[in-house]
Formats: sequence, C-alpha cells, structure tokens
Amino acid sequence: MENSESPQRFLTAAAAGLAGCRACGTANPGGARACTCCGSPLAAADPASLQRVWAWLAAGLIAYVPANVYPMLRTTTFGRTSENTLIGGIAELFSHGSYGVALIVFFASIVIPVAKFLAIAYLAVSVRRPAALGSHGRLMLYEVVEFIGRWSMIDVFVVAILTALVQLDFAAAIAPGIAAVSFAMSVAFTMLAAQSFDPRLIWNAESENLNDHA
Amino acid sequence: MTTPDPARMNITARRPSPWRNLSLVWLVPLAALAVSLGVAWKAYSERGALITISFENASGIAANETTVRYRDVVIGRVEKVGFAGDLSKVSVQARIDKDIAPYLDADAVFWVVRPEVSARGISGLSTVLSGVYIEGSWDQNPGFAQTSFEGADRPPLAQPGRGGRRITLRTDDGRMISEGAPVLFRGIEVGRLEKPRLTVSGDSIVVDAFIEAPHDRRINSATRFWDSSGFSVSIGPGGLSLDVDSIASLVAGGIEFGSVFDGGQPVGPGTVFDVHTDEAAARRTAFARTLSGGVAVSVAFDESVAGLASGAAVNLRGVKVGEVSSLNAAIQSGSDEAEVQLIAKLLLEPALMGLPPGSGEAEALDFLEQAVEGGLRARLASASLFSSELIVELVTLESAGPAQFAREAEPFPQLPSAPSNLPDFTATAEGMLERISELPVEELMAQVIATLASIESLASAESTRQTPAAAVALLEDARALVTDPGTRALPGELHAAIADLRAMVAELQQGRAAANLAAALEKGSEAAASLADASDELPALVAAFNALAAKANSLETEELIRSASQLMNSADALIGTADARALPPALTGALEEMRATLEEMRQGGLVENANATMASARGAADAVAAAAEGLPALSARLERLVARSEALIASYGARSSFNSETLDALREIRTAARAVSQLARKIERDPNSLLFGR
Repeated sequence: MENSESPQRFLTAAAAGLAGCRACGTANPGGARACTCCGSPLAAADPASLQRVWAWLAAGLIAYVPANVYPMLRTTTFGRTSENTLIGGIAELFSHGSYGVALIVFFASIVIPVAKFLAIAYLAVSVRRPAALGSHGRLMLYEVVEFIGRWSMIDVFVVAILTALVQLDFAAAIAPGIAAVSFAMSVAFTMLAAQSFDPRLIWNAESENLNDHA
Repeated sequence: MTTPDPARMNITARRPSPWRNLSLVWLVPLAALAVSLGVAWKAYSERGALITISFENASGIAANETTVRYRDVVIGRVEKVGFAGDLSKVSVQARIDKDIAPYLDADAVFWVVRPEVSARGISGLSTVLSGVYIEGSWDQNPGFAQTSFEGADRPPLAQPGRGGRRITLRTDDGRMISEGAPVLFRGIEVGRLEKPRLTVSGDSIVVDAFIEAPHDRRINSATRFWDSSGFSVSIGPGGLSLDVDSIASLVAGGIEFGSVFDGGQPVGPGTVFDVHTDEAAARRTAFARTLSGGVAVSVAFDESVAGLASGAAVNLRGVKVGEVSSLNAAIQSGSDEAEVQLIAKLLLEPALMGLPPGSGEAEALDFLEQAVEGGLRARLASASLFSSELIVELVTLESAGPAQFAREAEPFPQLPSAPSNLPDFTATAEGMLERISELPVEELMAQVIATLASIESLASAESTRQTPAAAVALLEDARALVTDPGTRALPGELHAAIADLRAMVAELQQGRAAANLAAALEKGSEAAASLADASDELPALVAAFNALAAKANSLETEELIRSASQLMNSADALIGTADARALPPALTGALEEMRATLEEMRQGGLVENANATMASARGAADAVAAAAEGLPALSARLERLVARSEALIASYGARSSFNSETLDALREIRTAARAVSQLARKIERDPNSLLFGR
C-alpha cells in the first residue's frame, strides 16, 4: 500500500487528547461534554455508527427499485393516458432528439443516485479495510456526496411543478406516479446515509493502520 | 534468585455480540423493504389476466393505449399487438381486470368500436378523439375462463346476456337484405338481421335474425315475414296505393313480420321462416298452416286450364276452403280411345268447409259425397275481372247431370267437374243477337209511322193549303197593280213621282218615311225570317230527338223502347201543338202584311218599292217553298234518326259492360287521385313522415 510505503506522520484529535466538534470543527479539550464554541454535544467517533450508514443506504437502495419500475408521470391528453417510467421517459426524450435534456435527466435520475450509492458504500467499506483511495481523496469524496445530495431532488421538483401546473381537465392532465414518491424517499434515505457517516472514522482508520505498521 | 514468571495467560477479549450494538435504524430499511414488497405484491396480485384476441386487422389499435371496455367501462388495456403464428391474423394481447376475467368464458365476444356512418345513423363518434377501443360482451355468469378469443368484425346482433330469440329466415332474393337491416313489427324495430348466407345448394338465402325480448314472444307458428324494404306502388280495385317505409329500410332493406291468424303455436329454436315478397303474399299463406292436414281430392277438367296454377284458391260460395296443390295430365283410357285429361289435386280444409272442428278425412269425404249428390261440382272460374288467373269453384248446380263422387279413385277421391261459364266471345255475340231480336221493332215502326202521319196531316192542314191561295191572291193583286190604269199612267207620272221621290228622299234624309218604309220592309223580312225559324224548329226537334235517343242509350232496353215511344209521342204532340198549327196562319198573316205593304207602296206609287217588296215576297215565297221542301228532309232525318237509334240500341248490349267498366275505371282513377292528394297533403302536413315512415 502506498500509505505504508511512505508513512505520513499525522496526529488525530483523539490521539492528541482532544475532541473535534462535528458541527463547527473546533478542537475541544478532552473530557469536554459539549463544544466550547457552539455547544453541540461532543462524542468520540464510534465505529458502530457505520451500521446506521448501511441501514440508511439499504433503505435508499430498496426505495430506488420501485422508483425505476413504476411510472413517474401519468399524462392524460384528450382522453389518452400514457405512463412514463424514468428510463422510458429518458428513452422517449432521446428518441425525439432532445439529447441535451435526455442527458440532464439521465445524469440527475440515474447516474448521480447510483454514484452516491457506490460512493457511500465505498466510504463505509474503506473504514474497515485498506482502501485504494487516500484519506484525503476519501474525505473529498464524502464532501462531494454530501454537497450533491441536496440537488438530487430535481426530478421530484419537476414532477411536483408539472402536476401543479398542468391540470387542464380534458385537454391535458399530469399526475405523479408511485415512482415519484419512491424516488424522493430514495434520495432522502441516501442523504441520511451520508449524514450518518462520520468522516473522523477515515482518519481513525488511517492512524490505526499506521500504528499497526509501526 | 529469580522469581518465576507468571504463566502467560492467553486471554482473548470476549467478542461482542453482533446483535448487541444493533442500531434501531435498521428498522428503516426493513420498513422500506416491507413497503416496497407490499406494493410489488399488490401490483402483481391486482395485475389482470392476459388474454389474446385475434382480429382480421388491427386498424387503430395501439399497445398501451387502446382500452378494453365492457358496457363502456374500461376493464383493461391492450399490452401488445402482434401477429398470429402464420401471420394470418393480428393477435392483440390485453390485460383484463382480475374481477372481470372469470366471466370471459366461451360466450365472450370482442369487437373493435370505430366511428361508423351508415343509413341507420352514426355510431362510435366518441372514438374520433379518443381512438378506437375494444368492446366486449358476455353474460353475467362466470364460467370456465378462457384466455384466447376470436374478435368479431362488427358488434354481434345478439349480445350475450340480452334476452331475445334467434330465428332463421329463408328467402330467394337477397338483394334487399343486408347485414344489420332492421326487423320490424308494425313499423317498430324489434330486431336485426345478421349476415345473409347462401345455402349449400345455392338456391336460397338464409339469414339469421335476432328478435329482442320481449318482442320475441310474438314469434309463433302464425308469424309470417315479408320484405318491407323500398317502396311499392300498386293499382288495384282499391285505387292507387303507395307504400313507403323509413329511409333506413329503404337503403338497407328490412323485414317485417306479423301474425296472419290467431292462435299460433309456440315454435322451438332454430325454426326457419320464409320471407314473402310483400304483406299480401304473406297473408295469403294463412291457409298454409293446415296444408298438412288438408283432405286431398282430385278433379279432372276437360277444358283448358291455362291460368290455373298450383296455389290457386278453391272457393266454396266465395269462401276459400282450400287450394290447388298440383296440376298434371293423365291419360284416361276410355271405352273407345285414350283421352288426355288434366287433373288438379286440391287440398281442402274440413274446418273451413263448415265441418265441426276435429273432423278428419272421412267426415270431409262423407260431406263431399252428399254434396255431389246434391249437385256439387268443381268448375273453373275467373279469379278477378282484371286477370286471367283461374280458381276452382265448388258450386251447386241445379242443372247438373248425375255424377258420382269417385271415392275409391286412385290416387285421390275424384270430384266431378262441370263446364265453366267463363266469358266467351261467341256466347256474348249470340246473346247480343238474341236481345236484338227481342227488341219491339214493330212497335217502334208503328210509332214512326204515326209520327210521319201527323206530319203529313200538318202539311195537309187547311191553313197550309191556304198559303198557296194567299200567294195566288198576292200575285193577282200584283197583276192588278200592273194592269191598273194608274200603273199605265206610271210613266207619265214617273216624272212627278221622281220629283216627289226627290222630295221624299229629302224627307227620307230626315229619317221618318224611310224609317217607316224600313220598318215595313223589316216586318216583311221578319215575317220571312220567322217562317224560316219555324222551319228551323224542326231541326231542333230532331236535336231533341237525338238527345232523347242518347238518354235512351243509358237506359235498359225496355226502358229505351218505352222512352223511344214517349219520344215519338212527344214529337207527335209537338207537331200537333198550337204553335205548329199556328205556323200556317202566321204565314198567311205575313203575306197579308206584305199585301198591306204593297197597298201602302201602291199608295206611295213607288214601283221600285213595289219591286223590292215583290222581291221580298218572292223571298218569302221561296222560304215557304223551302219550308215545304224541308218537310221531306225532315222525314228523311227522322228516318235517319230511327236508324241511328236502332244502331244505338243494337250496340247497347255489347257496350253495356264496357260502359260500366269505363265508369268503374273513372271511379278508380278518381279514388287514386284522391289517394295521391291525401298523400301529398299528409306529406305537406308532416314532411318528416317521409323520413321516418308513418
């Protein structure tokens, strides 16, 4: 492993007898119960929290299945009702030549959620096992996942807005499908999974690895 | 000393149970899984049954869009449109609601509802916007569910679960029968026809019809069907009749039915009914119900049976008691030589002959045997005045010779026949001559002679004789005038007379003497004219005679003779009237007036006047002569008149039927005109009756 070949000397807050605040980043003296700066409760990084990550991730994955299988939108135009699933909608946009829009929807609905699942799973696994990515890289990955989480609701917003606007009785009407709810829940569960992950575990694992080598 | 090392303890920490630190958060994915599985299971369990319907073509059917409906409620959706294995059909896969699927058994039918415009209206209009859909129909009893169905081209006439009766109609002419044509009862649509099809032999057309409940109760053995399509015009004894049905049946054809007699027996399913050409033909078959139970007898006719066809009526005192079943020739081996006879087989209905109900063949034959003893014979008769069709009449003839009812004859008991009294030309001519010879010609001649005698007596009357005498007197007067010395002195006086005349001319210019003179002359000429009128009255008399003869034309022969006699009498009376007698005195008066005029003229001393008067007098004499000459002409005219009335009387017998026929024809034309005007008025009042029927 590259880490073991060029051991980088660093000190974690726990090793220094300090406790880092997760909310504001202040390093509090050891033994403090609450952050001296922001008052949030302080707790040492608990490897057991990983199972919360896994639990939320599993819930998100489960919810993601009906989001893809069931129709997202039910469109009624002049008495004809058509239902579109996520993939079906993308395929339709693509076949109509709207490559840009199809690409955006594809990224927002398929690529990003799947990438988030993979990223969170990778982070959770890498705490226990040696990882290919360095600690800095993994921290960066975590930051990106958490940042992007709030943008994952684009699909749900679009469905909500269309449903609210297009209610023209017989001429055209749009209703949300089961998939919209499932997708929203999937995104929410994924965000909770990201939230549950304690990045300090990355560094703790790093120092343990170093100690083992030393 | 070294202290012994404590034994190295190999202590391993107790592995924490993986369940001890299990977080409650795991409940969340479990719940999510449960919900997802629940949704999936629900969706799967509510997923309907997949059925396959095959159609000839799938025009307008689209996967995931076309719905399947039952009573216009969506119960499913087409999932896939494909082909059957051999590309012979389009197979449409549709998912049907789970609740409905058990009802889709063998009687389920599916068809595609498309917008359709036909003579019977517009249907499926809602599919113009929403696209076609598949409509299904089945009964209300769940059965052995099927998943594969044959789609129909058109909505079935009899949709499963609807009450009614399916019957089969047979016809020879399929032109006016089309699929979906209405079946009418008293003009109300109670059913529809299905697709007509040829029988295997190809000699008739069979079409199924579905009569909806509750009208199907009207179908029984007394029901007859007839073609009500189009319109018909018929001219008959009842006048002109125009029968127009609704436009729908005009275009698509239609079948109407009705009961032709009471008390029809219920019929079982699959009964075949014949379609008759019109209502009258259908009603005529009322007898056919008993054909099977009829009593068969045969009649041999010696004369021509042209015009007699099988199906012709057999009448007993004008009431139909049977019909001719068949006609064929048979060789009758007589005593000396074989003879061809025409044998008509008759089917007689005992009940219609007045026999008690339930009478069998034996009773009917007994009755016929007795009736033949009493003179019952079969003979041919004309069916109607206008046609040459013949019917068989059973008549009781007083003059019939002895005949036997050949009860044991083969193959059927034989009724004796009688010669028909069909209208025959020679018979008619003979009858006419007989009637002419029966005319009282002698009486008529006597009357004519009497008339001529009275005319003669008129001519030889005293006053008539006086007329020449008066003329002679007039001439003598004229001669006296000429031989008068005054006349001799006329040339001498002429000069003065001319002078006087000139003065008179001057006076004449004042118009007085001339008026007198003219009046006198006019009187003279009037007298002459009245003489001519008097002779003109004789032609008027002739005209009156003509009118009377014309009147006699319309009377019975005897009455004609009587009125002819009366005419002669009245002519007699006319000639003997005072007016006619006064004719010669009037002539005399006229001559005397003329004489007076001459006297006046003589007093005027005007030879020119005298000459003119003479000319007038000569004219009058000419008129008298002409009148005298007219008398032989009158007698000649009378002779001609008598000849004409004879001719009229002679033609009376021959023309009487023609006259009555003409009158009948006129009356019918008048009825027809009235019917047409009624129709026109009805259409005017109620124009949509033309569209919707009556």
